[in-house]
Amino acid sequence: MPNIFDIKLVFTQIPSLLLYLPVTLEITILSMVIGLLLGFILAIIKVKGITFLTQLTAIFVSFTRGTPLLVQLYLTYYGIPIFLRYYNYYNDTTYNLNSIPPLLFVLVTFSLNEAAYNSESIRAAIQSIEKGQIEAAYSLGMTFFQVLYRIIIPEAFVVALPTLGNALISLLKGTSLAFVCSVVEITAQGKILAGSNYRYFEVYVSLAIIYWVMTIIIERSIKVIERKLTIPE
Amino acid sequence: MIEIKNLSKTFKKNMVLDHIDLTIKKGDVVAVIGPSGAGKSTLLRCINLLEEAEEGTITIDGLRVDVKKKTKQELISLRQNTAMVFQQFNLFRRKTALENVMEGLVVVKKLAKNEAEEMAKFQLQKVGLIKQIDYYPKQLSGGQQQRVAIARALAMNPKLLLFDEPTSALDPELVGEVLDTIKETALEGNTMILVSHEMNFVKKVANRVLFLYNGKIIEDGTPKEVFENPKNTRTKEFLSKIAYSTEPEYQI
Repeated sequence: MPNIFDIKLVFTQIPSLLLYLPVTLEITILSMVIGLLLGFILAIIKVKGITFLTQLTAIFVSFTRGTPLLVQLYLTYYGIPIFLRYYNYYNDTTYNLNSIPPLLFVLVTFSLNEAAYNSESIRAAIQSIEKGQIEAAYSLGMTFFQVLYRIIIPEAFVVALPTLGNALISLLKGTSLAFVCSVVEITAQGKILAGSNYRYFEVYVSLAIIYWVMTIIIERSIKVIERKLTIPE
Repeated sequence: MIEIKNLSKTFKKNMVLDHIDLTIKKGDVVAVIGPSGAGKSTLLRCINLLEEAEEGTITIDGLRVDVKKKTKQELISLRQNTAMVFQQFNLFRRKTALENVMEGLVVVKKLAKNEAEEMAKFQLQKVGLIKQIDYYPKQLSGGQQQRVAIARALAMNPKLLLFDEPTSALDPELVGEVLDTIKETALEGNTMILVSHEMNFVKKVANRVLFLYNGKIIEDGTPKEVFENPKNTRTKEFLSKIAYSTEPEYQI
């Protein structure tokens, strides 16, 4: 029987792919954390309606949601060195373009991307909170930041959790494009392995399994967190 | 002593509060009655600055705040000296009854956690909810929630208590327990402004009744004076309308 699909290979190459899982996770977790923080700030800007900043935020969110992630990766990968060369030229500095770690481009792109999408989810969650509780907090004498930290964030977090969970899962899959910026994560490693034995299909089946298992882990974790945060009847 | 001078508020060309002047002595229980939309709730909300009045000054025991030129610190101080009980209770959903009452003490008054907890338990005991301190608002009845809200307001030891139709959102059988709690609060000597439609209760608890109509206080006197000998025709009209739906005297 011809060896058209080598199912054993699918499973035997998983360990060598998993060697690069930490890179995938590093990109995912760092980008999500920065994306959440920045997204939260953008959401507050939009909710409070600080004139000049609100417009800027709207433009940023529109552009970042309106361009493909792949295009954004190329934009930062070529854009940051170009910016640096202009900076060097006009300021007589000699920053070395080659010393920039490729991971930086990836983190910048993914963080900004997450921030744009998350800012809308977080804004919606904040605006869904009944004004009554917020008025009660203000009438006790709390400042805006106290109300934000003690009342708004706990409520908004529970509302936003499913959507943010979705965003995390998308981000995990999005990291598969990082090779564009010379960062080797599991998909890149898969392409490299397949380049030597031409078993491309088997490699992608292995990768599919790994991504799926990771996603299931994330889904389950979100479920556990949701259950813990639900107030019993 | 509480003094409100020249308080005005307009909503979309409708002058809801028309240069209101009002002086309240310590221990007064002032009831505000009037037709719907007359500005009763707005009056309360302007006093603790949840609504921004267009002009006026509010003075509480020497702390004078001009609503147009108020500073952030004045705003916070004014709110720390008042406490409001809302029609919709407005408890913090994700906090237990105990945590709700402790919230203001810990965050605003910056008390130590155990001090705040003791004070909160004391207040909840007074309103008769010591067994429910670890219940979430979702697990409490409307009357219980409102009593927690009253405990939360009292725990802050405010100079002025504002009750915005505290029983209007309650099922009839739960109204009594909340009215009892408000009566206790009045008997303890708290200074209160009470907006309510419970006329029988107002007659018993208030020592002063204001009738608010078209943004002005057109009647101001003791309950006996206002209910039995109203001077203004509008007051008479209003009272005759509500007499139609007045409940019989509350019986135990």
